[in-house]
Amino acid sequence: MVVHGRGLEDYGFGAGHPFNPIRLRMTMELCDALGLLDGYDFVEPEPATEEDLLTVHSLTYLRLVQEASRGEGDAADLLQYGIGSQDNPVTPHLHEACARVVGAVLGACRMVIAGEATHAMCISGGLHHALRSRASGFCFYNDAGVAIARLKEEHPGIRVAYVDTDAHHGDGVQWMFYDDPDVLTVSMHESGRYLFPGTGGTEERGNNGGVGYSVNAPLQPYTDDGSWISCFDALIPVLLRAFGPDIIISQNGCDGHALDPLTHLSATTRFYEHVPRKIHALAHELCGGRWVATGGGGYDIWRVVPRAWTALWAAVSHQELPEKIPAGWLGKWGKQSPVEPSALMRDDPADYPPIDRAPEIADRNARTTEAVLEKVLPLIS
Amino acid sequence: MLLVGDSMSREVVTVSPETTAMEALGLCREWRIRHLPVIDGEQLVGIVSDRDLRSATPALGDPDRASALQRIRALEVMTREPVTAHPDDPVESAANAMRERWIGCLPVVEDDTLLGIITSSDVMEALVYLVGAHEPGSRLEVVVPDHPGTLAGAAGIFGELGINIVSVAMGARREEMPDGSPGRAVVFRVDTVNPGRAAEVLEQAGYRVLWPPVAPV
Repeated sequence: MVVHGRGLEDYGFGAGHPFNPIRLRMTMELCDALGLLDGYDFVEPEPATEEDLLTVHSLTYLRLVQEASRGEGDAADLLQYGIGSQDNPVTPHLHEACARVVGAVLGACRMVIAGEATHAMCISGGLHHALRSRASGFCFYNDAGVAIARLKEEHPGIRVAYVDTDAHHGDGVQWMFYDDPDVLTVSMHESGRYLFPGTGGTEERGNNGGVGYSVNAPLQPYTDDGSWISCFDALIPVLLRAFGPDIIISQNGCDGHALDPLTHLSATTRFYEHVPRKIHALAHELCGGRWVATGGGGYDIWRVVPRAWTALWAAVSHQELPEKIPAGWLGKWGKQSPVEPSALMRDDPADYPPIDRAPEIADRNARTTEAVLEKVLPLIS
Repeated sequence: MLLVGDSMSREVVTVSPETTAMEALGLCREWRIRHLPVIDGEQLVGIVSDRDLRSATPALGDPDRASALQRIRALEVMTREPVTAHPDDPVESAANAMRERWIGCLPVVEDDTLLGIITSSDVMEALVYLVGAHEPGSRLEVVVPDHPGTLAGAAGIFGELGINIVSVAMGARREEMPDGSPGRAVVFRVDTVNPGRAAEVLEQAGYRVLWPPVAPV
C-alpha cells in the first residue's frame, strides 16, 4: 500500500535547503512511469492530532511549533528549541505539514496492524532526529516515535522493531524508547565522530529495563556496499529473530549513497535494493509480513533518491525492479537537474571502484558489528 | 563552570571508623559504589575502598571469612589523610590529582566538612558536557594559525553563516598550516547537519580543515 498524497509534499524547505520535497514527487512519478503503481491505491490518512503528537513531544514544544507556524513567537525563544535555525527553518503551516507526515506513518502502522495491508510505504516519513522538545536535523515531529507510542497504547504488549539505515544516527527514535524493552531500535550509520548528530556509539545500548534494546553499529567514512551489506546481514536478521517483533518499521534514508553531498559513506543502489528485500523477507518470516517502510534523508535528489526509493517500493510491492528509466521521466526531470541523471535504475559498479583503504574499513566495520552483537544479543529476549 | 562543586555527587554514603568490613561491603554492593569516606563526627578521617576491604579479609570459601568480616573495622584498613578536593577547584585539577596518584575518587571537603565526592565517572561526564557530545552536532577539525585573533576569526565564520557553536576545544597540539607555518588544531561542534558550507568558507579564508573533506575548488 502506498501512503502518499500531495499534502505530504508540503513538508520540506524548498530550493536552497537540502531537504527538498520535490524528491517525493520525482520518486512517485518514477514509480508511476515504470508502471509500478498500477493497481495500487493511494491512501492519505488524517493528520496526527495534538494528542498523538503529545505521546512523545512536550506540550511547550508543540505550542511553540504551532506559534512559529503562524508567524508568531519570539525568535530567540524558538531558537532555544531548535526552531528557526539554519537547519530547521520556519515555513508557513509547518505544524500542519509535519502533523500530516506523522499522521501518514501512524495511519500506515494502524492499517498494517489491522490487516488492511500487509506492507505499507510512506516516503514522506522518517523524521528520526526530532527530539521530545527540540527540532533537529530538518525534523520537527518524530513520525516513527509517535506511531510506535500509539501502537503501544492501542495494543498493550506489542513488540516493535525499528530498523534505521539512514547515514545519520536515528537519535530521536532511540532516545524516545531508550528504556523500553518492547521497542528494539537498531541504527546503522556513519560514525558520530565524522557525522551529525554525533551520537550512536556502540556503548549506547539502552537504559534501565531497556538495556540491550537500543543497538548502534557506527560505520567508518567511505564504507562501501560490500562492507555495509555484510554488516547488515550479520546484524539485522540475528537481532530481529532474537527479539521477535509484531511489526517492523524501517527508516530508509538513502543519504549513505556515494553521491550524497552531506555524508561520507559510499553505498550504491545495490545496498538500497538489498536492504528492503531483506527486511521484507524478515517481516514474512517473523511477523506475518507486517512492515511499514518510511523515507528519511537523501540529498542527491536528482540521481539517488528517486531510484533508491523506487527500489524500496518494488520490494514493498513484491515487484521486479525494471532496468531502465523511462525516457519521459528523464526528459521532464533531466531538464531541471544540474547534474547528468542516470538512465539506468541500478548503478554500474565500475563507476564506484573500491578505494585503497576499503579492506581496512571493511575489517573495522566487521569488528564493530561483531562486538555490538556480542554485547547486546545476550540481553535481548 | 567546570568546578569540582558542579560535577561532584552531593549524596555521599559514609561509614564511621567502627563500621565492620561486613557492613561496609554491604553498602558498596547496595549502592553500587567502590569508595566510602570514613567520618568521625563531622570530620573526614579516611577513605576505604571495596578493594581495601576485600584484600584485608580471607577469600570466599575460607572458614575464617565470616568472623574476619565481623571483626575488621574500617579504621584498620582505611587510607588515612586521603587526598581531597575543594568545591572551588577546577575539575581538571581534580582529574590530574586522581591521574597522578592512580586513585578513582576524591572526597570534597570545605572547612573540614565533607560536602561530596568526585569520582572518575564524574570527570568523564564533565568531559562529555564540555565537548557538548550529548547535544546533536557535527564535528569540524580546523587548524588555525598560532597567533592572536585567529580562533575568533574561525569562530566568526560560523556566526556569519548563522550556525550556532555547541562547543569548542583547542588544545596544545600543534599542526602545520598549508604553507608550513605553525598552527593549532581546534575542534568545533556545531549545530547543523551540513557543516560542508562552513568548511568551504573556512578553507577559502585560509584555514586548514582536517574534517569534513572539502571538495577541491
